Amino acid sequence: MSARDAVLGAVKAALGRSRPADPADPAAVAAEALALLADPDAVRPALPGTDAAVAFAARVVSPKVGATLDRVEALADLPGAVRRYLDGQGLPHLLALQPDPALQGLDWAGFELRDAALPDEAAAFGLARWGIAETGSLVFHSGPDTAVLGHFLPLHHIAAVRASTILPHLEDYAAVCGAAPRNANLITGASGTTDIEGSYVRGAHGPRFLHVLLVAD
Amino acid sequence: MGTVFKRDVARALSDATLKTAIDRTTVTAERKRAAALTDYPQFAAARERGTRIKDHVVAHLDHYLLEFERNATASGATVHWAADSEEACRIVLGICRGAGARRVTRSKSMLGEEIGLPHALEAAGIERVETDLAEHIVQLAGETPSHIIWPALHKTREQVSALFKASHRDPHKTEDVEAMVESARRELRDRFLSAEVGISGANFLVADSGAVCTVTNEGNAELTTTPPRVHIVTAGIEKLVPSLAHAFVLLRLLVRSATGADLTQYTTFHCGPKRPGDLDGPQEFHIVLVDNGRSRMLADAGLREMLRCIRCGACMNHCVVYRQIGGHAYGATYPGPMGAVLTPALQGAEKARDLPHACTLNGRCQEVCPVGIPLPALLRGWRDRSWKDGLVPQSVRSGLWLWRFAAERPRLYHLGTAAAVRAMRLFRRGGWIGRMPLAGAWTRYRDFPAPAGRTFMEQLRDRERGR
Amino acid sequence: MPHATPAPEPRSRPRVGLFVTCLADAIRPRLGFAALSLLEAAGCDVEVPRAQTCCGQPAFNSGDTQGGAALARRTIAAFEGCDHVVVPSGSCAGMIRAHYREALADDPAWLPRAEALAAKTHELLSFLADYRGWRPQGVALAASATYHDSCSGLRELGILDQPRALLREVDGLELRPLTGNDVCCGFGGTFCVKYPAISDAIVKEKAVLIEASGAQLLLGGDLGCLMNMAGALHRRGSAVRAFHAAEVLAGMGNGPAIGEEE
Ligand code: SF4
Repeated sequence: MSARDAVLGAVKAALGRSRPADPADPAAVAAEALALLADPDAVRPALPGTDAAVAFAARVVSPKVGATLDRVEALADLPGAVRRYLDGQGLPHLLALQPDPALQGLDWAGFELRDAALPDEAAAFGLARWGIAETGSLVFHSGPDTAVLGHFLPLHHIAAVRASTILPHLEDYAAVCGAAPRNANLITGASGTTDIEGSYVRGAHGPRFLHVLLVAD
Repeated sequence: MGTVFKRDVARALSDATLKTAIDRTTVTAERKRAAALTDYPQFAAARERGTRIKDHVVAHLDHYLLEFERNATASGATVHWAADSEEACRIVLGICRGAGARRVTRSKSMLGEEIGLPHALEAAGIERVETDLAEHIVQLAGETPSHIIWPALHKTREQVSALFKASHRDPHKTEDVEAMVESARRELRDRFLSAEVGISGANFLVADSGAVCTVTNEGNAELTTTPPRVHIVTAGIEKLVPSLAHAFVLLRLLVRSATGADLTQYTTFHCGPKRPGDLDGPQEFHIVLVDNGRSRMLADAGLREMLRCIRCGACMNHCVVYRQIGGHAYGATYPGPMGAVLTPALQGAEKARDLPHACTLNGRCQEVCPVGIPLPALLRGWRDRSWKDGLVPQSVRSGLWLWRFAAERPRLYHLGTAAAVRAMRLFRRGGWIGRMPLAGAWTRYRDFPAPAGRTFMEQLRDRERGR
Repeated sequence: MPHATPAPEPRSRPRVGLFVTCLADAIRPRLGFAALSLLEAAGCDVEVPRAQTCCGQPAFNSGDTQGGAALARRTIAAFEGCDHVVVPSGSCAGMIRAHYREALADDPAWLPRAEALAAKTHELLSFLADYRGWRPQGVALAASATYHDSCSGLRELGILDQPRALLREVDGLELRPLTGNDVCCGFGGTFCVKYPAISDAIVKEKAVLIEASGAQLLLGGDLGCLMNMAGALHRRGSAVRAFHAAEVLAGMGNGPAIGEEE
């Protein structure tokens, strides 16, 4: 007997399935599962106010997330905002830029750009698909225009997100995300650890700084 | 009764540094969880919902396993099944050998510890790089985790500092925790990127997409699973959830209960290997579904509820026993209340005989458990079995038998207690008894209040007669 | 679980069976008499069934479910004729209310009787406060006190505010907060003698916190826990004195504390 048959057989026996081949009624199981998602507001924190983008911005800079935030009017303003941030941090205008056409088409004059982050990259810049107000999370989907490591290798992670893509709650992301990408990365602040005596330190392995650029669009 | 457990307990209790380390982390954890719950008045409702979600999955586990397998396979993942820990390790080692792996990186996974994967990799001559900071500390020290969220909870910062100085190539120069974390970052960076295989666990397996969810605050899971050519996930079969939305309900509970944050910094859903056009990611994605006793727990009404556990660690942070003896004294992968329930199931009741008994049944673990597992009742269930199986020490059995014999005979009992209190008073000095035969376990540590000269029942009878 | 919610019955005179508990009977009869007088003051006709011994918890919690069941049957038989059963211990009351049905789960003849007894069994202080609407009158004690919430009462029966509400009515008594008031003292019934070293480590920490409260008295609702804490306090030479809260409420707070000569 294969391990698969052994495990499934043991599970079915434990559940008292009458005939081992009996499938559970999938429609009934699905209905029961769906019912468990009813009334989501009863089980999630309420947002302050009604505007998800406002709540998101407040959340991102709260101690819970601990990121910094800047606002721009349009995508075209992003290079300027990135420059401001790098200058403020005393960093050279050197950037790993996510190969997203929306970003690559901007005017990056004066920057030295790289397609992919190096292991010791100082700063990388990307555009998140969504923001989530409840948690202050940025959502990236891996793909031809988004590398996973771009969010993890740099010391400074700079991420833009459009106000129109801010979702109120985690469930709202589940509703709009579509077919699962290879990696869906929900990023909520910079890398941190509490592994030594529970005391919180930033920049464990991933970025030490997260800077969010909220695009009014 | 010189059990291994008692020996390890004695050692732990005499280790003042250990107690300092335990307190430093658990006190913070308790405070942060409490603060997180204050900000989340929906916690009670969410906990009930989370409990129902887990119960639903457990009741339809066969259905969800098959759905997950179907969708994961469709995403390009290879799904493996392992009935026990040996089989799971064999599968993982086989994949590593097939990939020609000399070095693997591992992102913290308690299931990996449970099945003995670190040891199996080493025995196979494969270099193992633990990427979670705490696991890295534990690996350097040649130890095992002492907590499921903070594996190096038993180490003080001073001990970590000494360890890093002795083993890092370019260790920290100043004695702050920041500098130590930086030292580990430097030490591990190039190893992250040079492994052939990355191994992770799973916090959730999402049935309707075949995705595997990992959560970390350090970002080490993604650095472990993205650069190598092969990503292997080892996951217990109870980790399933129907969909992403169900996972989110449980994530809110998990993270708040574990660290007091609202969400982990890095919450990632991995679905299959690198796709055409992808800029990075593994070529091969393997998922090993591990039973290792879980189907037995499923069959057992006295243990089934334990399959709800989402491994948040709150029960141990709030356990008075754990906070005195730490994790290692439990002698197994899972410590604290959840470990005291799980370990007898995984290792056999005889080997873990003490664990279900070494508990005051105070109920605080159940109170904080985000999926309402009745841990005290499950522990008492183990006591019931160990009584029936004759694992309770003879001294305890005879003591209880004698007492029960009397207690079932009220006249004898009242005569007996009346005599006993008189006998006890022979040992008193003032109102206290400092030493008394048969009471050494109490009086070795505490004084015993001397009983009044006559029992309540005697005095009451006198009063009523006098009326 | 908090009590179900029958309305207070201030005017009727219910027949209350007092379950003294084995510990109070043997070690601290004063507590039994305090309970007796409080129940009478709260307008109850009190009976003390002579067939009572122990609730069976030590056996049940040691895994001897049959032993626990045997004593559960005895206790049920001794008390089921009363309108209410009142116990000056959250732990023993919790055993009857929450666990008799588990101990007798396989006994169809006794299970309904266990359920019936559970439904009318109460811990003393919550019974006085919630069911009798009783408050102490003219009871005075010039002292400062801190209160430890024993685990079974707190978590199985939801007893938290009732003892404090009652103690606040005692003239001259100052209640001080206790850090970790809801954290187990390490007694745990037979735990404290099966794993004495762990129990000792736990109660030592508790003793430090009790002393840090600055209170002169330690009060609680469970004699077992109080004996554990008082014994640890005395061993470390502490001046803190321990009483069951019922004793203070019954005006016996000027008498000998736990471990003091009569
Ligand atoms: S038993 Fe409950 S509290 Fe303990 S680790 Fe599991 S989920 Fe968390």
